[in-house]
Amino acid sequence: MIPATPLFELPAELAIDTGIARRVLAAFIRAQLHQAGFERAVLGLSGGIDSALVAFLVAEAIGAERLLCVLLPYRASSPASRADAESVVLRLGCPSELVEITPIVDGYFGHDAMPGAGGPAALEASALRRGNAMARARMLVLYDRSVTWRGLVVGTGNKTETLIGYTTLFGDSACAFNPIGDLYKSQVRQLAAAVGVPEAIIRKAPSADLWPGQTDEAEAGFSYPDLDRLLYWMIDKRRSDAELAAMGFEPATIDRIGRMVATSEFKRQVPTIAKLGPRTPGVDYLYPRRRPGSAPT
Amino acid sequence: MQPLRIALAQLAPQLGRLDANLARHHELLLEARAAGAGLIVFPELGLTGYHLQDLAAEVAMRADDPRLLALAAETVDCSAVVSFVEESTDHRQFIAAALLEDGVVRHVHRKLYLPTYGLFDERRFFAAGDALRAVSSRIGVGVGLAICEDFWHLHVPALLALDGAQVLVNVASSPGRDVAAVNAGGLGTAVSWRTLLRTYAQLTTSVVVFCNRVGVDESVSFWGGSMVLGPTGDVIVEGPLYDEALVFAEVPLGDVRRERVGLPLLRDERPELLARELGRIVAERAGLAEDGTGIPASG
Repeated sequence: MIPATPLFELPAELAIDTGIARRVLAAFIRAQLHQAGFERAVLGLSGGIDSALVAFLVAEAIGAERLLCVLLPYRASSPASRADAESVVLRLGCPSELVEITPIVDGYFGHDAMPGAGGPAALEASALRRGNAMARARMLVLYDRSVTWRGLVVGTGNKTETLIGYTTLFGDSACAFNPIGDLYKSQVRQLAAAVGVPEAIIRKAPSADLWPGQTDEAEAGFSYPDLDRLLYWMIDKRRSDAELAAMGFEPATIDRIGRMVATSEFKRQVPTIAKLGPRTPGVDYLYPRRRPGSAPT
Repeated sequence: MQPLRIALAQLAPQLGRLDANLARHHELLLEARAAGAGLIVFPELGLTGYHLQDLAAEVAMRADDPRLLALAAETVDCSAVVSFVEESTDHRQFIAAALLEDGVVRHVHRKLYLPTYGLFDERRFFAAGDALRAVSSRIGVGVGLAICEDFWHLHVPALLALDGAQVLVNVASSPGRDVAAVNAGGLGTAVSWRTLLRTYAQLTTSVVVFCNRVGVDESVSFWGGSMVLGPTGDVIVEGPLYDEALVFAEVPLGDVRRERVGLPLLRDERPELLARELGRIVAERAGLAEDGTGIPASG
């Protein structure tokens, strides 16, 4: 008999109590909406595990009927991703929409030698520029649907990609709140299994889905469990490079990941405002996002 | 001695909405009083919410504020501990807990230790209290008030017990964190607090009352888990994690005497030793005496 392959690899130190996490996150999602005076939520569903998990968590917190899932494929996106996203919608029974972002992205970069709004040079744009534009086109659609659906945009970025900066500023990182931003990818997998995300989505290799066959791990040259462990000991447990090396992490990897974290610091913070006046937003004008008067009661 | 019925109002305050929170306190106070509670305890900043930042000065009240006195007026034949932002006459803001009894404000404790590290930023917005006093109470024994972080400093419960408190009340807004699976009960913060409260109850041979809020302010979720412990460290009652609840405990205050007779730790305490050694340490730190902790110069 062939033993079943485990659904995912979970480093022991990263294992969480999924029961507690689900309760905290359900209350967090309800509170974020309530404090802002909203009853509904909207998110972009890619077919990947992160947005699938958030969809399950939001549905669990407020009911599937209050969640709008928007599928936002580009022409190069994999049909398998779309099928996976549709399986989530089917499983949850939530409202969904399909908005192709191809005309938005191609309208800027051009297509088939026809220049777009970005001019002829944009036809030669790198995969990085195109990937960023796709993420921002999706943000544009989600924030527009946020108005028509009267729901807040829920973020779906995980802690691993946030820490190494594998995100697009004002693109996939744009949201009103994010329930999974403090969970490493390995923990996302653990929680996804606990809430019932379809197994095929948990099992498949994570991908930004920018071109056929792309996977995060092949592109960046790491495995998520290894990267998650390194980030956990480096960031959460404040281990020095020497201590990390003594634990068995490759010095070159420690150095590389350390630099990725440092160079992406700007992506995790609000833009800096030059201090001129007596009270400056974010510097010495500090209020909670939601306070009396900020939402209808 | 009559058992004391204690009510823990483990609520989720609304951030910055003083009027709504006052109304909720009135409601729960009356409900607990009607259920026979002699002491009703509300969480830290239950009247204002925790993550106030610049709102702190806007929701601040004097200890003689009519809104607080109106709440005190409801404490007929009972005691209550409520917490709010207190503004002193010289316009400093404190995180405060007030003991309300028989219609009046009996005592106000100002939070002594303001965590300003990690996810906390209290010192930026608040002044720290300077006094710690046990007070006599209508419940028949001395009561000591402390607020959240105050209990992460060993001498606070010790001083309160030495000063005559037999019931130590800690009101808290403790954010839950560390959901690692290795924690018994699933939450690192809860494990730490349970350990600490049990230790204090045992070492001060006192009743320990802990009321922690629930709900969400910004990114943090408060975990609840309010509890009452007897002077042996046994848990008399424990509130739910994360959910609002009005939890009641029957506390035989006579247990304190029994425990203190059988285990006379407080009798054997040496306040003069403590004062002497602390005096020495303070002097050394100020450079007024030879520093015994210094590394001797190598010969």
